[in-house]
Amino acid sequence: MSDKSVVKSGSNLERVLSSGHFAVTCECGPPKGADVEHLEKKIALVKGCVDAANVTDNQTAVVRMSSIAASYILVKNGVEPVMQMVTRDRNRIAAQSDLFGAYALGIRNMLCLTGDHQTFGNHPKSKNVFDIDSLQLLDVVRTIRDSGVVNSGDPVQGGVKMFLGAAANPFADPFEFRVIRLAKKIDAGADFVQTQCIYDMNRFREFMKMACDMGLDRKCYILAGLTPLKSAGMAAYMNKNVAGISIPDEIIKRIRGVAKTEQAEEGIRLLLEQIQEVREIPGVAGVHIMAIEWEERVKEITERAGLLPRPRF
Amino acid sequence: MSMDKSSQGSLQSIAGDVLPTCSAACPVHTDTREYVQRISKGDYEGALDVLLEVNPFPSVCGRICHHPCESKCRRVAIDEAVSLRMLKRFVVENTAAHRIARRKKAVQINSDKSAAIIGAGPAGLTAAMDLALRGYKVKVYEKDTKLGGMLAHAIPRYRLPPEALAQDIEDILATGIEVHFGSSVGVDISFEQLRKENDAVLIAVGLSESHSLPIPGTGSKGVFLGVTFLWDVANGLCPELGERTLVIGGGNVAIDIARAAKRLGPKNVYMACLESREEMPAWKWEIAEAEEEGIEILNSWGPKAILEKDGAVRAMEFRRCASVFDAQRRFSPSYDESVTNTVEVDSVILGIGQKANLDFLLGSEVSVNGGRLTCDRESMATSEPGVFACGEVMTGPGSAIQAVGTGHDAAKVLAHYLETGEILKLPDKNTINIGELPAATAAKARRLDRVCVDLTDPAERIKDFSPIEPVYTEEEALSESRRCLSCATGAHLQFPNHCAGCLTCVRICPFGVAQVRRTAFMPPQECQTCGLCAAECPAFAIEVLRFPTAAMKKSMVENVAGLDLERVARPFLIAYCCVNGTTSRKYLKDQSAGEIMETGVLRILVPCVGRLSMADLVSPFELGADKVAVVSCPEGACYYPRVEGWLERRITRTQRYLDEIGLGGEKLQLFKMEGSGDESWTRIWERFRAVNLETAVGR
Amino acid sequence: MIVADPKPFLQVKGYLEDFQKVLVVGCGTCTTVCLSGGEAEVQILASGLRIAFGKDGRKKTILEGCVQRQCDLEFIVPVLSQVEAEGIDAVVSLACGVGVNFLADRLGNIPIFPGLDTTFYGANMQQGLWAEMCAGCGSCIVAYTGGICPVARCSKHLLNGPCGGSEKGKCEVDPKNIDCVWQLIYDRLKRLGRLEDLRNLLPAKDWSTASDGGVRRSAREQLYDVK
Ligand SMILES: Cc1cc2nc3c(=O)[nH]c(=O)nc-3n(C[C@H](O)[C@H](O)[C@H](O)COP(=O)(O)OP(=O)(O)OC[C@H]3O[C@@H](n4cnc5c(N)ncnc54)[C@H](O)[C@@H]3O)c2cc1C
Ligand code: SF4
Ligand code: SF4
Repeated sequence: MSDKSVVKSGSNLERVLSSGHFAVTCECGPPKGADVEHLEKKIALVKGCVDAANVTDNQTAVVRMSSIAASYILVKNGVEPVMQMVTRDRNRIAAQSDLFGAYALGIRNMLCLTGDHQTFGNHPKSKNVFDIDSLQLLDVVRTIRDSGVVNSGDPVQGGVKMFLGAAANPFADPFEFRVIRLAKKIDAGADFVQTQCIYDMNRFREFMKMACDMGLDRKCYILAGLTPLKSAGMAAYMNKNVAGISIPDEIIKRIRGVAKTEQAEEGIRLLLEQIQEVREIPGVAGVHIMAIEWEERVKEITERAGLLPRPRF
Repeated sequence: MSMDKSSQGSLQSIAGDVLPTCSAACPVHTDTREYVQRISKGDYEGALDVLLEVNPFPSVCGRICHHPCESKCRRVAIDEAVSLRMLKRFVVENTAAHRIARRKKAVQINSDKSAAIIGAGPAGLTAAMDLALRGYKVKVYEKDTKLGGMLAHAIPRYRLPPEALAQDIEDILATGIEVHFGSSVGVDISFEQLRKENDAVLIAVGLSESHSLPIPGTGSKGVFLGVTFLWDVANGLCPELGERTLVIGGGNVAIDIARAAKRLGPKNVYMACLESREEMPAWKWEIAEAEEEGIEILNSWGPKAILEKDGAVRAMEFRRCASVFDAQRRFSPSYDESVTNTVEVDSVILGIGQKANLDFLLGSEVSVNGGRLTCDRESMATSEPGVFACGEVMTGPGSAIQAVGTGHDAAKVLAHYLETGEILKLPDKNTINIGELPAATAAKARRLDRVCVDLTDPAERIKDFSPIEPVYTEEEALSESRRCLSCATGAHLQFPNHCAGCLTCVRICPFGVAQVRRTAFMPPQECQTCGLCAAECPAFAIEVLRFPTAAMKKSMVENVAGLDLERVARPFLIAYCCVNGTTSRKYLKDQSAGEIMETGVLRILVPCVGRLSMADLVSPFELGADKVAVVSCPEGACYYPRVEGWLERRITRTQRYLDEIGLGGEKLQLFKMEGSGDESWTRIWERFRAVNLETAVGR
Repeated sequence: MIVADPKPFLQVKGYLEDFQKVLVVGCGTCTTVCLSGGEAEVQILASGLRIAFGKDGRKKTILEGCVQRQCDLEFIVPVLSQVEAEGIDAVVSLACGVGVNFLADRLGNIPIFPGLDTTFYGANMQQGLWAEMCAGCGSCIVAYTGGICPVARCSKHLLNGPCGGSEKGKCEVDPKNIDCVWQLIYDRLKRLGRLEDLRNLLPAKDWSTASDGGVRRSAREQLYDVK
């Protein structure tokens, strides 16, 4: 079980959180190839605006630059990565070996995920692995960090200290199980949690209340996930097609209510309101802004939300 | 091609020795189901063969049988019994030539033993025929000049015309029996002489006299005995009846008397009987027909006296009959003398029952008790060795077919006696039948109206003795024959070791009757023979006995083998057609190779095309068909629920498969008949043949 | 039961281009029950092959057969003898992969081809519809999941609860047709009053008993002859 008072990896993100600041993270998707320049451009856009940036691991099962390599490029460019790792593509051998490599390259935050099913991606005919699930991955990595042994029990050479994250989706079903699952993830080793994007604020509040009632906020930092809507079309699409996301009608109406050219701005205004709202919810330790392919607006968002400058350690 | 040959043999039943209720009820166990099935396939000759197998009197029975088979037909659970008697009549009246052609020849006498039979009623004639066919010398002594007993001289012609009886008699005589007409035993030849001349004697004298009544006035002028009256009528002597004629009696004989009397001209014909309306022993339909003809029935009256004037009948006096039966349901009438009634009439005919005249036995050793012949029902033996009895003299009043049954038995008993000198005890007659159709199954079955015919208008029919009932037309007969459920010849697990217990049959059976008890089991009592389970069975483990598709395929192969495929008219169409859609046997006949080659159509008749499996739908292409048509009944007309839907899905599946194998699914088509098959089939075939589907298969 | 689906016809036909005398042999057990490899399917496939090759102008002999089970030697011996006696030069099996393999091991130099695609161990949901129920992992865990198997029935084989894609009881991979097994497990444990069980972390599973541990055999000691 996670204990906030013990330093896990000493990463920037961990320090921001442990010192009581309202943390800000964002997403930085690696390119669908080895285009370093493209990645570096994205990095530049978010640099200084966030405490750490998540580097996705072949998200939606579409092949991209490996998250370890991309995370390393972030490190080199002065932005702290949260390296994501999914169990879809690696068995426990590969996962542990990749973990060692990542640590060796200076990566200190890691988000453990199961990953989207490959049928959604560009290689639906591939075979998946799922040797372990995200909870078991948390457990494996935490054991390496805290007990110095790999899953088989063999000792690890040298220390491997990761600040461990997990994802939570308060909007999927069965709802009552969602908090239990969060608790399980914390038990398995999650030091921080980033949630799926929140649109249904009431349900999120309910979720947070249940989490706080169980004392989960005291064991783990919960970052509220938010995604700005670029247009009414995007809102409708996500509502319909992305499993585990539901966007209340009034939000879709609100975006649709303004002129097409104004919809992006309306989306950002909504996001700013949401940031304010989540800040006031007890137990929320930060925000995770997933501005999908919209990194150029991260600076503006964080600025208008009054989240800048970020603390430095 | 018509129906496959193998199913022409007698239908074997999955219920083994268990008979359908109809056959079980029939005194001679006519294979009802089989003759009806043969009719439905257009094989009327085959149906006649089935009838003649056990009944030398099919023409008579087709007219006047009381048809216990119908009374027990399991279809009553659904709607009404199959009209079996009418079907029988249809068969005999449409197969005259075949009947003559198949007529049995006299058998060479191969025994030095001989038998004398007294009485040429249905019982005596049946026994005589059976014995003659076994090679014995048989002499029949008949006091009358006509053969047939009551059939010849009692049953009025409007019900049984003499030609019908003659048809049956001719067959019987052809077997070589020796008949002594006008030879009354006891008068023209003594019983003792018969015994001396023969090794065995069979008494089949029936019940040839009417009972009289122990009341005053029976000797008056204008009082007739029923049997005598009918004899006169049958022989064209018109007994003189007054304007008001009264018939005493409430049974079928009394009704015949009354209806015959009505045809002789009296203005009013009454019937009076002890029984209340409900208790009357006559068949309901007979009563109804009598009333239609204007006969008035006076119920619950007991005859008290015939009042006379100058020696002639003036009136009939009655007392109220309070009850006919006692607590044990025995006949024991009681009267309320305080209630009386007098009906003024000119003639009275007594139709209260018949008795045997056994005077010829006086002085012989054969025991007679209270006017009744002493006879053991099981061995048919009288008190004297070598003297036996059959027919009504033994059983008491019954029916023609029952008399025939006892005639068959008597032949067995006599033959045994002639060979061994011993008495044969006949096995127990009780048969096991499959029982009623369970209500739950019946509720799921489709109702089909019984095909009824209209009798001659009552006003017309009382004018003379012309037959009043028309015979079924071919269309009517075919349609009625298809109402038969073909009980206990349905789905059967023919290959139990193929059955994987997959439950397809259970899930698909529209009647909810199929079960899997380790392997599939279709209860014969409940299966409605739709054949859906057999069609969908993935192991082809189920056969429908009534129509084995394996045999159908075999004869299809043979049929095609007989063709010169190079010369057959193209496109060559194999058409599976639902036999239930035919209204004549135009298409039920075998097709010649020449006809198939010329028309380019080979038709295969199936009793419900819903039972064709996917393999059945593919295999014609293998045989060289260019197109395959499945012609079903008109939309919604299938006899079985849910079968249409499954057939459509099976056709779609097969079409997809034909696409897949590169043949083209459009070469298989489902058509629904419009109207009857006879009208629409050719049109459907030709239209489908004319559709251009490019190249033919494999050539 | 093992479930298998018919292979596309042209694929099977393609296997047989070079052979003259072919035996199509069905299996009277699982594939009969799942309506893909019984007597009926044998006849349909054989008929189809004859028609299709005939159409190409190539007459081949296509024989039909079906045995009770292709996964037992005694049952396939007659097939082996027939192949030899009648000079059959290729066999198409309508059994699951087990039957194909078992025959292949014993068919000497005669090729065998699968007529079916073997899919899973499943149960019948209704006439003509089957669903996967077990993955044969070799160490059953359903004691902890209300008797319902997440290894077989969760698209991601998750052992510790549903992923974020579970919505209204359906799995994100195919919401129309697949139930989210974790919803089923949750509901069932709730009914059983055992929701607490879900709080325990199931550690990384031992897959060595599954095919990941190498090819498996099942030896019932004392019941077989150890060589
Ligand atoms: C009016 C009437 C209507 C009927 N209607 C029907 C009906 O609709 N359906 C049905 O199934 N049944 C009907 N029956 C019954 C049926 O006719 C009898 O059951 C059947 O005829 C009995 O056959 P049998 O051979 O026993 O006797 P019978 O038919 O009575 O034949 C006996 C024969 O023996 C002859 N005989 C008698 N004594 C001597 C002798 N001493 N020497 C030589 N010959 C002798 C008689 O002349 C007669 O020909 C009817 C009967 C009657 C009377
Ligand atoms: S339905 Fe046919 S077989 Fe069944 S009892 Fe009636 S007549 Fe006989
Ligand atoms: S499906 Fe038809 S043939 Fe089979 S058991 Fe049911 S009623 Fe009988």
